[in-house]
Amino acid sequence: MVLVGAVRDYLNRMLHDLNGMKVLLLDTHTVGIMSVALSQSELLQKEVFLVEKVDAQAKEVMTHLKAVAFLRPTGENINHLKRHLTSPRFGEFHLFFSSFLKPSHIQILADADSHEVVQQVQEFYADYFALDPYHFTLNLPSNYLCMLPTLLDPQNTQLACDRIVEGIAAVFLSMKRRPAIRYERNSEIARKVAQDAAKLMYEQENALFDFRRSEVAPLLLIVDRRDDPVTPLLNQWTYQAMVHELLGIQDNRVDLKNLPKVPKDLQEVVLSSEQDSFFKSNMYENFGDLGANIKKMVDEFQTKAKSNQNIQSLEDMVKFVENYPEYRKQQGNVSKHVTLMTEMSRIVDERQLMSVSQTEQELACTAGQPAAFEAVVQLLNNDRVAEIDRLRLVMLYALRYEKESPQSVEQLVSRFAARSSRWKPGLVQTLLKLCGAEKRTGDLYGNRDLFNRARNMARGLKGVENVYTQHQPLLAQTIENIVRGRLRDVDYPFVGTHFQQGRPQDVVIFIIGGTTYEEARMVAVQNAAQNGTRVLLGGSVVLNSSSFICDLEEIHRMKRVERSSISILR
Amino acid sequence: MATRNQTALFKKYREALRNVRPGPSVAGRGGTVELTEVFSGGAQRGKGYVTLSTEDDSDQTRAGSISVSLPPAWVDISDEVSTEMNKAKSKIAELAKSYGRALMVSFDDSTGEQQTIELLTAEITRSLKKCEQKLQRLSGGQGNSGDENLRKNVQRSLATDLQSLSMDFRKLQKGYLAKLRLQEDKSGADISMGFSQQRSREDEDDSDMGFSSSQLSQLKQNEAMSAEREREITQIVESVNDLAQIMKDLSVLVIDQGTIVDRIDYNITNVAASVEQGVRELVKAEETQKKGGMVMCVMILIALCAFMLFVYIMKKIFL
Repeated sequence: MVLVGAVRDYLNRMLHDLNGMKVLLLDTHTVGIMSVALSQSELLQKEVFLVEKVDAQAKEVMTHLKAVAFLRPTGENINHLKRHLTSPRFGEFHLFFSSFLKPSHIQILADADSHEVVQQVQEFYADYFALDPYHFTLNLPSNYLCMLPTLLDPQNTQLACDRIVEGIAAVFLSMKRRPAIRYERNSEIARKVAQDAAKLMYEQENALFDFRRSEVAPLLLIVDRRDDPVTPLLNQWTYQAMVHELLGIQDNRVDLKNLPKVPKDLQEVVLSSEQDSFFKSNMYENFGDLGANIKKMVDEFQTKAKSNQNIQSLEDMVKFVENYPEYRKQQGNVSKHVTLMTEMSRIVDERQLMSVSQTEQELACTAGQPAAFEAVVQLLNNDRVAEIDRLRLVMLYALRYEKESPQSVEQLVSRFAARSSRWKPGLVQTLLKLCGAEKRTGDLYGNRDLFNRARNMARGLKGVENVYTQHQPLLAQTIENIVRGRLRDVDYPFVGTHFQQGRPQDVVIFIIGGTTYEEARMVAVQNAAQNGTRVLLGGSVVLNSSSFICDLEEIHRMKRVERSSISILR
Repeated sequence: MATRNQTALFKKYREALRNVRPGPSVAGRGGTVELTEVFSGGAQRGKGYVTLSTEDDSDQTRAGSISVSLPPAWVDISDEVSTEMNKAKSKIAELAKSYGRALMVSFDDSTGEQQTIELLTAEITRSLKKCEQKLQRLSGGQGNSGDENLRKNVQRSLATDLQSLSMDFRKLQKGYLAKLRLQEDKSGADISMGFSQQRSREDEDDSDMGFSSSQLSQLKQNEAMSAEREREITQIVESVNDLAQIMKDLSVLVIDQGTIVDRIDYNITNVAASVEQGVRELVKAEETQKKGGMVMCVMILIALCAFMLFVYIMKKIFL
């Protein structure tokens, strides 16, 4: 409830004090922020009867409406607003901005407001997409910039960094806290974001962040996706993560248009833990349990449908009419989950994901180079395995055995290259260059020091419950270290002199480069255990394997352009 | 949940800029605004004055401007619906009270209570029906795309409210009905028990058959009462049926919660898509018009004219 609740509170406050019919003006970003937090019918309840994009070229004058604008304070939006204010279509304007307004922007707006239609100008810091109670994202448009060296494209990287800092600041402002900031030592961009955030919170907007709280300051930890490139490459077997991996979730919406045999009213479905109780209780369940639960739901629904069918007496009729809306809602829900489940199991079958995933998990979790090599080669030769899955296998293998046996990596890459047309084999090299062993800070495979190695061995002896979900993201270790107060200052230094005293109760971990739903699940499970520490997870985007590989491709392309331009210069 | 209010700063800037703004240009601007207003039907007359006015009376003229620009007619309908709904709501509350009183065991004659209940039920059903009819009217009539959208949304929200209201009403009725039946069963049992007791006593006596006068009067009373109850029940059932019809009509309007239709972004993109589609249809219409019968007809007529002219000339020359 934490993040979603905060955004909802903001929006409610925005709309609550205004009586009468309202129109909401939004931009591309705030539409998403609104949509994940509020539903259309809730908006209608608040007498918001029209939602418009701020850049829409509508002409009708509707002075009986009050306009509530909720926008990011970008130059573009200010220009659109200026246009609105010089020839006002609505009776009143109430301007809300999701982040810090520059004085120059206020001036421009004040200048444009010659009709004096603006009633209030406020900053409401709902500047992040609150997907789930403990998981937020910023939907950064060009996420690959996060994995580039900052010098390569300084201007755009600066823009991306600014957006990240604003998003993080908004999260803390909505919690009314000022954090102590730590970052990952090896990552250039993490350091930059951390320092910018510190500058913003302790210098530029010192007064705004001064909440005079006496408790221990919360912790903001900024880490880099490149520290754990394995998690976004793995196949997922828990509901939410799996849907994202196989079908793709965008702002809690799933697009099913491109799939064969999907009924017309289910071409796009919503998967929101706020509105769908079945999804809420099952989003972290694994595929097998999920199947059983869906079966149970269908059975329940069937008995209800049957009791609705035999209407004999007047009383039955009354009962039926009374339960009809509920019944229809449930029907929609049941068919949604059944459709998703069917589609996913079809894909799993088609791409032989069971065997692929088993090998993936072994690559990620257990050592044993020769056996792993055998397994990967076998899958590479299997024609039914999709190309992207092969690429993932090669990547995972390369990440794991890059040091141990470089020649076998070479061998696999050339084998892959021989059969792949879509993906360039150079991607594997790019990945190793970006996220190779010497770039990483954390102990990704748990084989750096003796203690971790021993723990890994113990786990191997104990055996695992489920072969497909044995992988634990690196984040789990990091969180454990934070909870026990064992996070090393050398690896994760503080910014400035704002150190932490005592164990933090609130931790916000921001992954530059994107989170995964596997990590979100881990965080949610951790929070449900209630050990006194509450963790919020955020990222620049939510990754799945294909978007991660797309980012890599983009980087690969840019690097090549850069290399060729350098050679031309020479 | 921190916020920061920048209104004061904004107003300061606005004030400062208004003082700085040179006089002639303001007048010029006001003039142009007024010109456009003449063409747009003077809907924004007040606004032109605002730019001209200096300091104090700006608020008054602003208020004037709001009253001048009248909202479209359908707003009245929606207001009517909401007032009607409020009325129904208060009546429902009243009804709940009367139900409570009617169910209480009382020794005096409770027909007055029954009558008010009947009256209230009829009134509520009527006003709900009226609301529903008005709602349907809301969607009729022409308007531009934005306005139409607005109207649809207003309709939806009212429909949702109305649905929940009629739902409440029906729950209340159903509860009352159930309790009424319970009481009836009980009283029925009482009567039969009374009979059997009487019968056994009569068997013992075996002297005179038939009922005594007191028994007869009691029986009559019971009969009358049960007839009354019966009537009530049929009445309620009727109103339930009416409501069921309303529900069915409303369910078309109400958005299913938790579906894609209930997403804000989906609705926005949908509007954009429908506008685009409208443009496409227009282009298509233009094309068909060009291709269509009119042009064809004209062409044929011209050809015929030419042919006739030719025939006429031929006739003149050769004959």
